[in-house]
This record gives sequence, structure tokens and C-alpha cells, in this order.
Amino acid sequence: MDLKIRKHAETYIIDVNGEMDLYNSYKLKELVMKMLEKKVEQFVINLENVDYIDSSGIGALIYICSTIKKMNLKLIISNIHGSVKKVIELTKLMGYFPIAGTVEEAIQKIATP
Amino acid sequence: MSQDVKELIINENHPLFDHTGMFYKEFPSDFRQIRYFTLLIVQKAPPEIKEINLLEQQISEIIKNAVKHGNQNNPEKKIRVWYSFSTAHAHLIVEDEGEGFQGIEEWNLFNRKRQEAFLAQDFENLGNFVSYRTLRSDEHDGGNAMFAAVEYWNDGVVFNSRRNSVAVGKTFPQRRLGLEIS
Repeated sequence: MDLKIRKHAETYIIDVNGEMDLYNSYKLKELVMKMLEKKVEQFVINLENVDYIDSSGIGALIYICSTIKKMNLKLIISNIHGSVKKVIELTKLMGYFPIAGTVEEAIQKIATP
Repeated sequence: MSQDVKELIINENHPLFDHTGMFYKEFPSDFRQIRYFTLLIVQKAPPEIKEINLLEQQISEIIKNAVKHGNQNNPEKKIRVWYSFSTAHAHLIVEDEGEGFQGIEEWNLFNRKRQEAFLAQDFENLGNFVSYRTLRSDEHDGGNAMFAAVEYWNDGVVFNSRRNSVAVGKTFPQRRLGLEIS
């Protein structure tokens, strides 16, 4: 898994590439925590290039999501698809996570208060 | 959608504990190799039931629980895996040498509350039940693997009395081939 950050206005988009599994999911968590320390307030986590997620990956997303919710900051997860979507559905978290179909849609959602 | 709450069951006489005709492998409890062990097992499954990698993912969770929570990553301790697959079913039994999952009742209660929050579409409250944790949980534990497992394994998630062996099964719907004549 690798993580790339790009910026659109005040929103930081994290593109996740590869598999989010028990060996690497902590990296996403660490990255978001570092960005929070640097006062980033608007996040999009883009899962377009993620085709595998396990409970550790879901756990990382839950942790990130609940931390950002508690801080009253903004997060949208975009491009959930394929078996990643199935795992999130099985875990009944589709309604819990703030999601959008595409990065553009996510940016728009964040921009509208 | 079915409204009944799925649970972890304890019943070592359950049909899912019948090992007849199953393949068998054993592995050391090496955390680094969990996905590799999983691949060795899932390669026996026909592509029709793999659902890209969903079957692999669900099996890796059961193996991870045995290696990590059961055997505490102790490489001297083995996990034993029985498995059988067809285009219509997946069946897996995983046994570890640990002290058994003592928290089954607590987990079921937790999961029941989680399901209630979900059915009420109360996502604020659901936030309290997204991760099942024990004193031994670490930061890498998502605490959500078995929530998906009880949904995915539609023939059941069943433990033996010692609670160190879990049997899971799934039946897949069969696509009918043929023409519909109107």
C-alpha cells in the first residue's frame, strides 16, 4: 500500500493505492494523525485503487472517522467499490462512514456546509 | 433484509464440525505469514465463489484470530485448518492451541446492541459499537472482523466447548443455466 497526498483548495486528498490489510493499515492512521497535528481540517480518503480491505483496514477507517468526527472536522471517503464495498456492507458501516462516489463529489460535499 | 440477529454459537456437535472429506493443513503461528497461509487454502476454491477476494479476506480473518488471539503469535503453537470448497459451498474449521475465546457471550451482547443501533439507523449510537475490544486488543485490531463473519458465513460461525476451534460455513446461491420460456 502506498499513500499520496494532493490538495484541492483547503481539502487534502489522500489517494490510497494497494491493499489495506493487517500489515499496513496503521500507515494510513499514522498519516492522518500527523496531518491533524499540522492542523489539516478537511480530508478526502480516496479508495479508488484499493481492491482489498480486511478488518484492520476497516478498523483504521473507523479510528480515523471517529477521531475526525470528535474534532468536528471534515472527512469523506470516496470510491468505495468491489469487495471493499462488500466488506463494509457486511460490517454494516455504509451508513456510518461519510461517503461519496468520486473525489469531485467528495470535495463538493465538503465545500457545502 | 432479515431482521434476526446472527450470533456466535457454541455447539461442538454442530454439523459444521464434521471433518469428513475435508482437506487438512497445519501452520505455525507466524503472524507475518497469515495472508500466505490463507492463499494456500483459498487456492482450492473454485473462482465462482471467490467473489474477487472476499472469500480470501473472510478466511484470513479466521486464521488471524487463531494465530493472534488464540495462539498469541507463539510460533511454537500450531493452528490446524480443515477446509472444503465447491461452487456451492465453503466450509472451514480452524483450531488453535490457545485458551479459547472466553468472550463469546459478551461479544454476542455487544453485537446485539450494534444490530439494534443499525436497525434504528442510529449512526451516532452505532459509533459506540463499531469496534469490539478486550483488554488484550492492540491498535492493529479492528475489532470488527466477526461482525462481518456472522453475516458472511450464512451456515453459521460455531465454536467447540473449549472455544479454541471455530467452524464456519457458507452456501452460495446457484445460478441456473438455461432458457426461460415465456
